[in-house]
Amino acid sequence: MKKETKASSPLRGDKRGAPVIIEVRGLHKTYTETEVEVKAINGIDLSFEEGEFTAIVGPSGCGKTTFLNMIGGLDVPTSGKVFINGTDISTFSSSKMIDFRLNNIGFVFQAYNLIPVLTAKENAEFIMQLQGRPKAERDKRIAELFEAIGIAGKENIKPSRLSGGQQQRVAVARALASKPKFILADEPTANLDSKATAELLDIMHELNRQEKVTFIFSTHDKRVIERAERIITLEDGKVVSDIIVNI
Amino acid sequence: MDLLLAWRNIWRNRKRTLITVTLVTLSVTVAVFMRSLQEGSYARMIENAVGSFTGYVQVHQKDYWDDKTLDNGMTENDTLMEKILSADGVKGVNLRLESFSLASHGNSTKGALIMGIIPEKDTLMDIQSRIKGGSYITEEDSSVILGSKLASFLNVSPGDTIVLLGQGHYGQSAVGAFPVKGIAKIPAPDLDRQIVIMPLKLAQNYFSFPNGLTSIVVLFDDPQRTQVITDKLNATLDTTSYKALSWQKMSPEMVDMINSDRAGGIMMIAILYMIIAFGVFGTVLMMTEERKKEFAVMVAIGMQKTKLATISFLETILMNSIGVIAGIAITIPIILYFMYNPLMMTGKEAESFEKLGIEPIMPTIMSFKIFFHQILVILSISLVAFMYSLISIMRLKIIKAIRR
Repeated sequence: MKKETKASSPLRGDKRGAPVIIEVRGLHKTYTETEVEVKAINGIDLSFEEGEFTAIVGPSGCGKTTFLNMIGGLDVPTSGKVFINGTDISTFSSSKMIDFRLNNIGFVFQAYNLIPVLTAKENAEFIMQLQGRPKAERDKRIAELFEAIGIAGKENIKPSRLSGGQQQRVAVARALASKPKFILADEPTANLDSKATAELLDIMHELNRQEKVTFIFSTHDKRVIERAERIITLEDGKVVSDIIVNI
Repeated sequence: MDLLLAWRNIWRNRKRTLITVTLVTLSVTVAVFMRSLQEGSYARMIENAVGSFTGYVQVHQKDYWDDKTLDNGMTENDTLMEKILSADGVKGVNLRLESFSLASHGNSTKGALIMGIIPEKDTLMDIQSRIKGGSYITEEDSSVILGSKLASFLNVSPGDTIVLLGQGHYGQSAVGAFPVKGIAKIPAPDLDRQIVIMPLKLAQNYFSFPNGLTSIVVLFDDPQRTQVITDKLNATLDTTSYKALSWQKMSPEMVDMINSDRAGGIMMIAILYMIIAFGVFGTVLMMTEERKKEFAVMVAIGMQKTKLATISFLETILMNSIGVIAGIAITIPIILYFMYNPLMMTGKEAESFEKLGIEPIMPTIMSFKIFFHQILVILSISLVAFMYSLISIMRLKIIKAIRR
């Protein structure tokens, strides 16, 4: 049975007292590319602790994806700062940011975004290869992950021959393979049916527990929200609620 | 990983890649064959006129080449010979005395180039192997060899006698009747139409120029060293009296003709390559545009843009290299075939070639330079096409591209 509790501070998660790995201060993002100025993020202060399983929810256009892009270093804030493990990433050069993402952040996209010419295994080990990890280490890790996420035996199959659920599992394996500090998943279940969604959430939850990897989702999906341990709701680029859910 | 990704990427769209590779293959095949045919013809032309006649380097009395009269000739000179023969790379000399006279037989008369040679030693012209009727002359003979076209014009056969009338040394008249010992087919049509070859001593007597010479043909192995040998000789010889000239200086009209013809050929190939360049560029453009989202994902998950650009570069190079290798593989047997079975011009085409003084035969030549130039051109096209990909990758906006 679920028991909902408000965090001590409405804008700050305080679930386990674990170390804070992401901290956001006074974050603003304004798009001025169109005639109308759009304030996608309008002053967010948040922190995320190691091992969180957090869903960021809210209506379309509320700034969920923009927020994930900011903490993932894919986009730069108009003002405010993003600290990862105490380091302000907004000062990084483009090249340093890419290296930082490579070694610290895992991404799971709505459309899976696997590399079509690589097999499932090659996709999953892609980041480890970029990191220059030895083959033996890669093989061991991918074998473990494929077993854990239920796609053992699919190693040599190209993404086009896998189902959506299987592709997203490979994408999760790719994100997890290098043991990043946290994983950002942007609407990871949007293209999956109920069964595949449930299975994927089970897998991610299990990996969250086993490997203490922080998961931050942006989602509309009730099924994801139901499984989240912390739910942050955004509206008009602002945090309107931040709830710790004890399962 | 880079190479593997690049290789698999180029085969994502097999049809498109095959079309591009085929275009490159065809262009390389056509370009290499055309250039090989051109250069083969030039090489044969040079060999006929230079390698088998004038030689690549000659030594003359210093004013002779500007005013080719016997008065500007020289006499046989041991010191001069020693200096020439001692120059590095020189393997020997052929001595010649040349001037013009009228050659007459029956009612036919024609201007002729009288050339005195040492028959046994003039290895360059190798007239002996070109005899088509009669026999070759010896140093002691008082008879002559005629070019086949001149013999035909004068209606002369071996055993007939021709009369030569010209001007000798210091204005003396030169007159003589000479039996024709042989008819030779000279490969350079211009020469074949006018040459009368006789022993050097006989020519010196005919022109009243004892021990006289107009040219010393310098023999050496590698025609590529022509300029080096010329410079060495001019550094060794007394240039107040003698001058060494390369064939390019002696036959500037041939150099000009080859250069202008070569430029025309290269222009044709350049147009062909421009068309191919658009094809290659189109493929690279499509390969880049359709994968921008994928590029963005790769950069998002941690691939440096420089690494991505390297993969894109490898794709372009790999695709075009397949075309180049296939083109070269196809062309080599074609070139070899036409090298040993040259194209023979016939009819009016042959006549027009001969009017220009060119043998109507077009052989190919196997030259690394020709292949290398095509590789360079395709590489340049690849680099230019890759620039589009490079700029796109470097300007890639991750968020915008992922949303595509």
